[in-house]
Amino acid sequence: MATAFYFDMTACIGCKACQMACKDKNNLPLGILYRTVQSYEVGEYPMPGVYHTSLTCNHCAEPACVAKCPTGAMYKTEEGPVLHDDDLCIGCQMCVNTCPYGVPKYLEDKKITGKCDTCIGIRKDGGLPQCVAACPMRALDFGTVEEILERHPDAVGMDTMPFMPESDTRPMTFVSPKTIVSADAVEKFF
Amino acid sequence: MHMIEEIAKAKISRRDFLKGTVAATAAMAGLSMAGRGENALKAHAESVAPVEHAEITDIQSQGKWVTGSCWHNCGGRCLNKVLVVDGTVIRQKTDDTHEDSPDFPQQRACVRGRSQRQHVLSPDRLKYPMKRKNWNPGDGEKHPELRGMDEWERLSWDEAIEICADEIHRIVQKYGNQNILIPYGGECQMVLSKMGGYRSCWGTNSRGAYTSTPGKVGFWPQSNEGINDRIELRKSDVIILHGCNPAWSSAGNPAYHLLQIKKHNPNAKFISIDPLYNDSAALVEAEWIPIRPSTDMAFLLGLAYTVYKLDEAGEGLMDWDYLNTRTLGFDQEHMPTDAEEGAHSFKEYLLGELDGQPKDASWASEICGVPVEKFEYLARLLSKENKVAYLTAWAQARTHNADNLPQMHMTLGAMTGHFGKSGHCWGVSAHSRNINGGYYLCGSGGAGNPSAQNPLPNPTINDTECWEACKKGVAIHNSYGAPGVEVPIDLKMVYWGYTAFLNTREGTSAGIEVLRSMPEFVLSHSMFRTTNAKYSDIVLPVTTPWEKAGSFLQGNREALIMATKVIEPIYEAKNDQEIANLICAKIFEKYGEFYPELTADPVYPLTEEQQFMNSACGCWYLDENHEKKTLISITAEQKAAYGVEGEDQEGIITFDEFMEKGLFQIPRADGDAYGYIAWQDYREDVNNNAAKGNSASGMMEIYSQGLKDMVNAMKFSTIEAYPTWIEQEDGYFGTFADRKLGGEKGEFPLQIYNPHYLRRSHSDFDNVGWLREAWPNPVFLSKTDADAAGIMDGDTVQITSPHGSVLRNACVTGRLMPGVVGLPHGSWSDMDEKLGVDRGGTDNIICGGISTGAGVSGWNTGRCNIKKFTEYQLPADVDRSDMQERILFE
Repeated sequence: MATAFYFDMTACIGCKACQMACKDKNNLPLGILYRTVQSYEVGEYPMPGVYHTSLTCNHCAEPACVAKCPTGAMYKTEEGPVLHDDDLCIGCQMCVNTCPYGVPKYLEDKKITGKCDTCIGIRKDGGLPQCVAACPMRALDFGTVEEILERHPDAVGMDTMPFMPESDTRPMTFVSPKTIVSADAVEKFF
Repeated sequence: MHMIEEIAKAKISRRDFLKGTVAATAAMAGLSMAGRGENALKAHAESVAPVEHAEITDIQSQGKWVTGSCWHNCGGRCLNKVLVVDGTVIRQKTDDTHEDSPDFPQQRACVRGRSQRQHVLSPDRLKYPMKRKNWNPGDGEKHPELRGMDEWERLSWDEAIEICADEIHRIVQKYGNQNILIPYGGECQMVLSKMGGYRSCWGTNSRGAYTSTPGKVGFWPQSNEGINDRIELRKSDVIILHGCNPAWSSAGNPAYHLLQIKKHNPNAKFISIDPLYNDSAALVEAEWIPIRPSTDMAFLLGLAYTVYKLDEAGEGLMDWDYLNTRTLGFDQEHMPTDAEEGAHSFKEYLLGELDGQPKDASWASEICGVPVEKFEYLARLLSKENKVAYLTAWAQARTHNADNLPQMHMTLGAMTGHFGKSGHCWGVSAHSRNINGGYYLCGSGGAGNPSAQNPLPNPTINDTECWEACKKGVAIHNSYGAPGVEVPIDLKMVYWGYTAFLNTREGTSAGIEVLRSMPEFVLSHSMFRTTNAKYSDIVLPVTTPWEKAGSFLQGNREALIMATKVIEPIYEAKNDQEIANLICAKIFEKYGEFYPELTADPVYPLTEEQQFMNSACGCWYLDENHEKKTLISITAEQKAAYGVEGEDQEGIITFDEFMEKGLFQIPRADGDAYGYIAWQDYREDVNNNAAKGNSASGMMEIYSQGLKDMVNAMKFSTIEAYPTWIEQEDGYFGTFADRKLGGEKGEFPLQIYNPHYLRRSHSDFDNVGWLREAWPNPVFLSKTDADAAGIMDGDTVQITSPHGSVLRNACVTGRLMPGVVGLPHGSWSDMDEKLGVDRGGTDNIICGGISTGAGVSGWNTGRCNIKKFTEYQLPADVDRSDMQERILFE
């Protein structure tokens, strides 16, 4: 079984409500985000294009962070999410350094790492990951891979996107990309 | 209660609720601290089996979700719920009260709403009454020159109230009420209204020229009902977004509603006419037509001319029946009866019969920058045969000399007949009605509070004139169209209420200059050390709506939110009303004989609970027959619990259920009883008085004597009775050395405008670190202009206008029209006193007090120059020192 996040780039306006809802749910200090919205510009005036990404942990099928974690703090669940046990974490940052997507963050104040847990506690109460529940554009979704592909038949693996680094960790994130996505795009801070 | 500790507690509690079961797994794998290293890693990778997470639970079962107000003036009103565990605010969530669908959407909060807890519980909330160190009451030294730079001393409430009462009395008696300024703010006004009055301000704020013009020309109520509702909008085939960007200007659901038009009608044509290729345009893959700010009148005239000429050539673009029967003043055959002698019609002006200049595409193009060939293209898209939704907004009317702009939109809409038919509309899509026009389907009752009645004759000053008038010593009283009367002012006291006036009205630089020289006493109610508070002498900390009994909030037409108290007031903050009561009581006690209007009774007699219940009792909804019905079932006992007398009342949702959900929302669907087509009744029956606008004739007046007479009597600048292009002092012409188009550029060669920005709702939220982190607030520069000035992405830029100078880091983008600079609206001023530049990038340092027409604030008419700033690199706002400087008294 595998779970996955889905991102509809064609509906995203880059508002960062998901990023903020995530930060709020996880109560993260300044400088730390578990979900990050980035903006990219392509083309030139008067024919510019803009698209946004909203990325968090890809809850990979073969997570490098889990493989490298020396204490078992980072672990893969049967359901799919990669979780992190704060009590086992020794703050060695192996996961931070090994994740090809830069997902785990080192929390200076707690001397441990942390990352997206798919809001697993909320989901067990019947809720949605807070980023999904937050999106004013309804551009985010979460479910089993089968559910995601059924609800979004045009979705492709996020790892096909040029802004994603090469890796062999089999990220479980899907996207409906904009046609203007390009390797030549420039990241912008609007 | 200490909010900082609360936040810390929340962090600790997270660890508690994230505790899992994997400790056992790790022990089984034989791992320990000593097991680090390659071997241990390998062993771990091989031994870690997938584990269940049955024991991971969420903390929400231990707490209570309370609806926390999101009260800011953004036009949205979304559902914000707050998880409170043992009195500690843990986190937020948004609407999950019903299944989400495009027709019946959840009222999901925006990026700002999601950080509301960071705002209310911010470490820079003001904790105690405080006094500026070098300011002394009575005859003591005032040192006005130190305003904004002085240190603060903590006061007790008793001391603060006594000082305020003494100073207000002293200044009223010594200098007179006419020299006390309370720009806005009901509670402060209530105090002075009982003591002989005060000067207040008036202005056009968000609506710009849509404040006064629509009512005169018969294009009213434009702000509420100017466009079709969101479900009807899906039936349009051509959607023009002219300066309309819900993605940034109306966070919440409006951009989602815009997307539904595209989803329902994949072949719909979207056009965006805007200086910026904005995110709403990108969302619907609109064709972008860049336009210079503050030149929309010229653009629309050129378009009207082109429509007329193509129609004349036989293309049948115009709806002559609508124009001839529903409007007055297009041509001499249809002039209104009140037109002055020798009056000209709009058509004569349009065709150039009056000034020899036809308002054709090449004339318009030179001014507005829209290529000539786009005019015929757009004119044909606007054909009466096409289902056109022409969605404009207020930004282009927040410009100088814009009084006829709403009338121009009305004129072109009438020429092409896009009023009152399914799939057609032409009007304002903004604020609470963005991509969803129509009358309210529900609402709340009044709180029952008295309102301040200002006994001072001719008391008001227009916002645009305020600081310059103070400097000159004379203002023009002409509020909302009153004939201008000159009134003297010698500013001796300023009392700041609920507006961020110094930061959000033109001429912040002039305002600081006035505050550093003229008044003897500046008093502020404030939640934070805002720009108003910073330049004050006494600051009184006030509560936020999260600390009050409850309230009702409404943005879009379908939803009503009931917010309730989340936390007790922090530190010593008090309700604004209580402060007014305390000051009035003290003045009555000490100086009662001077003020017969003051009595021993509190000026605000109702408790917060009573006000909340009064509003609840009056809540209403429209049933399917459009009859206004009582919304909430409330028992007499429930009313009594809130201190309100009354009998049981019957509605369709109980008080308890509403409080628990926080939301009442009317489901919508195509073909239901709540669809709205703007101007439908007027199109169908021109004699239907109820459907008419409130122009003198009741018709749409393309020639409006009423508008001309009103504006010209206000004594700022003059207009014609029909739409004309008027050159603006700080507009595009002003970027040229001799104001001649195409000539040499002058000292301020670029135009500058103030797009709304998702970090803030106006100036609210600018102190929230999480939002500063999310939205960096750069200055937007086109690549062409940045290259010419040698500016790269991220460089610190000094932006200078005739009115002041600010710093921002550059975002160099191909999304902005060359020649135009975009400075986001609402950032808090943070003056570098040494260099005289504002590190905060405050838009109103750049915008100056220029008063035109009907007193319209012209924030989008501006000019500037840019240069790379080399004194220092401006830190990111989230790292700027003002974040710490605002934290006063730990």
